Amino acid sequence: MAEYKGMAQPSRAGEKDMRKIHMEPIPDELKPEKALEYLDEYRKKFRSFVMAMESCTKCGQCAENCHTYLGTRDPNNIPTNRAELIRKIYRRYFTLEGRWFGNLVGAEDISLDVIEQWYSYFWQCSECRRCAHVCPFGIDTCEVTMAGRQILHWLGITPKLHADVGGAMEKVGNHTGLPKPGIIDTLEFMAEECMDEFGIDIEFPVDKPDADIMYVPSSADFLLNPYTLMGAGMFFKYIGANWTIPSTVTEAGNFGLLFDQRYTQRHNVMRLLNAAQNLNVKKIVWGECGHGWRAAKMYVPSLADRPIRWDITHLHDEVAYLINTNQLKLDPSKNSKPTTLHDPCNYVRACGLNDNMRTCIKASVANYVEMSPNGADNFCCGGGSGILFDDKEMYQKRIELSWKKAEQVRATGIGKDGNGILCAPCSICKAQLYPMVEEHDLGVEVKGLIDLVGMALDFK
Amino acid sequence: MKLLIGQILPFITITIFVLGVFYRLGRWVGARIVHNVTLSDPWLKSGGEVAVKIGTEAFLFRSLFKFDKALWAGAFIMHFALLNVLGGHVVGFGLLGEQFAYIPGITAEMSKDASNLLGTVFGIVLFLSIAYLLIRRFSISEVKSISNSSDVVWLVYLLLIVGVGNIMRLFHQFHIEYEPVRDYIVALFTLQPVVGMELLESYFFLTHFLLVQILLIVFPFSKLMHLFGMFAERWIVNRVYHDPAPGMPNIDIPAARKAGLGLPSGGGGESASEGV
Ligand code: HEM
Ligand code: SF4
Ligand code: SF4
Repeated sequence: MAEYKGMAQPSRAGEKDMRKIHMEPIPDELKPEKALEYLDEYRKKFRSFVMAMESCTKCGQCAENCHTYLGTRDPNNIPTNRAELIRKIYRRYFTLEGRWFGNLVGAEDISLDVIEQWYSYFWQCSECRRCAHVCPFGIDTCEVTMAGRQILHWLGITPKLHADVGGAMEKVGNHTGLPKPGIIDTLEFMAEECMDEFGIDIEFPVDKPDADIMYVPSSADFLLNPYTLMGAGMFFKYIGANWTIPSTVTEAGNFGLLFDQRYTQRHNVMRLLNAAQNLNVKKIVWGECGHGWRAAKMYVPSLADRPIRWDITHLHDEVAYLINTNQLKLDPSKNSKPTTLHDPCNYVRACGLNDNMRTCIKASVANYVEMSPNGADNFCCGGGSGILFDDKEMYQKRIELSWKKAEQVRATGIGKDGNGILCAPCSICKAQLYPMVEEHDLGVEVKGLIDLVGMALDFK
Repeated sequence: MKLLIGQILPFITITIFVLGVFYRLGRWVGARIVHNVTLSDPWLKSGGEVAVKIGTEAFLFRSLFKFDKALWAGAFIMHFALLNVLGGHVVGFGLLGEQFAYIPGITAEMSKDASNLLGTVFGIVLFLSIAYLLIRRFSISEVKSISNSSDVVWLVYLLLIVGVGNIMRLFHQFHIEYEPVRDYIVALFTLQPVVGMELLESYFFLTHFLLVQILLIVFPFSKLMHLFGMFAERWIVNRVYHDPAPGMPNIDIPAARKAGLGLPSGGGGESASEGV
């Protein structure tokens, strides 16, 4: 079912899929009362959620600042209205105001319809946090989306895409289901490609014991974004690093952040820490993945089950540091096509990667054009939080959700001769933008940032 | 009735207001900041930067200014006028309009005139700016779609309070002097026999006073708590954060480049290799 009473919805994981990720679905007739029970638990725990429920003045500032509303013009995609889908229930059951004044203050009884509304609209939000950035109070509707998705998950309602990804991660250590032999084959093939195309001789050490650096790539780089992996490989070769890729965590992403922070996300954190301990590495360096970087940088400290012995940095941080200290020779003329940067939301609003990304790209390309707005003000690509659904209704939504991004890219003018480069250094952004630049006919090719750095490195 | 509104209700009002505010703050404190959801727009590196960020948001409405000038104008003027009107109530009644006489060269007479003028101006500005926000609530379709009835009720209610207050100021025949009000308040809250009950003979004063008390009673349970909510929310999303230091262990780039690593003739090696 991809629609419920006219609302688009992603297709759901079946009972078997849910059990694989350790959830026992709740029968429909029990869902409303269980939803209240879970909501009550959630609100007693998370202040970020409580404040989003209790301090909005309905000023409306967030409306024109959310790409989902700009793309769909659906009032339920206005951030405060999205939050209101839970807030109306929250008020009715958990506030005096709502119990006394009911409808006057917008309180409403729980029902299956409301739960289905949650499923539709919390899965159109990309958890990009632009609403928090613009709200006069800093109200973070992403926190409400996270609450909504967690409750839905506990009820047994999760998109099939996300549930499958969670299951694959648990089974093989990455989202694409690629087992270790496949990883090794792919990496060998990429090393050959790198030699053929750039004349650079690299290798990808897997599970190398006592490596200094554990590099965690996005699994999408093995299949969809090979130049990102090659770029990283060239960079590590250039600096002569003693590095390795852990076969148990060939995944920078952590979909637990997006649908189940209690079990799935936590479990992935343990997996990461175990890998670092087993390989006895000194530092963890993260690959290009926006939500995954947020999960690693900001959530590992609060989810880890032991003291953390490793600094975790992002590859862009490390490259920028070496550029700033004049240790890399980069030749921007190797990337001469007009290039713009799409700022992944998690990088700029949750991880502070704004300046370092610019340091990297400006040193690596000859013809750089800023998009407007950019940095922390940037708009999401429309795929944020992995809403990369392929069913007909949701794919149509994805085109709408990327409308603002398309307008921004068009305004830079880089695609007018059909040879622009849209640098989008995040696997979800890439997966969203590959088809979307075609849908919107933008005349650009999508690339990662390390791709460009790798190609600009001057090995001579 | 007047006894109730003038001598009993004020104590009930204050009790509910104070306990209510503590009840709400307690609810907020009871839930924790579980994960670090600081906004990096950009990172704030010290307590001073946090204070500047929260301060400019709270007192200048910085984000509104940046993203929506029309809303900023209405909201800022409304709150600025409100702040002055509230402050004016305290110092105006407290010092009988002679507050400016503390400035050298200003006489008590001049101070009273200034106090009157400021009070009148801010009263009118406040009324107009609330009216502007009310019109905005209906005329902008997005704002209309996010409004609950209570959002409109609040604005109308404030218009009533401010409107009645303005009438007492602007129309001579309904005017109320500072002094009896001060004496009334002082007597009330020092638990002395209440004086100045004749103030409540004025239906405008009675209405104004009653409406304000109802506002204060409902305040802790309403959206007006954003006065405190604003700081509680920013306390979550605007915190100090320091990135871990960059720099990778055991790398020697000059040596690597000298050895020609990566160049086919140089120190290349096997391709994907599994560790031993
Ligand atoms: C530090 C103190 C305060 C701050 C920072 C603050 C900030 C804000 C902001 C940013 C808005 C949204 C913009 C708007 O819709 O106008 C707002 C709305 C509002 N504020 Fe405040 N406020 C404060 C205190 C108060 C107080 C004490 C009142 C008491 C009556 C009040 C009444 C309102 C009302 C009624 C609205 C809604 C306006 C509308 O419906 O458009 N505020 N406030
Ligand atoms: S910007 Fe903030 S306060 Fe204004 S309506 Fe949106 S969430 Fe509410
Ligand atoms: S997090 Fe992004 S997509 Fe979600 S409501 Fe906020 S602005 Fe819209």
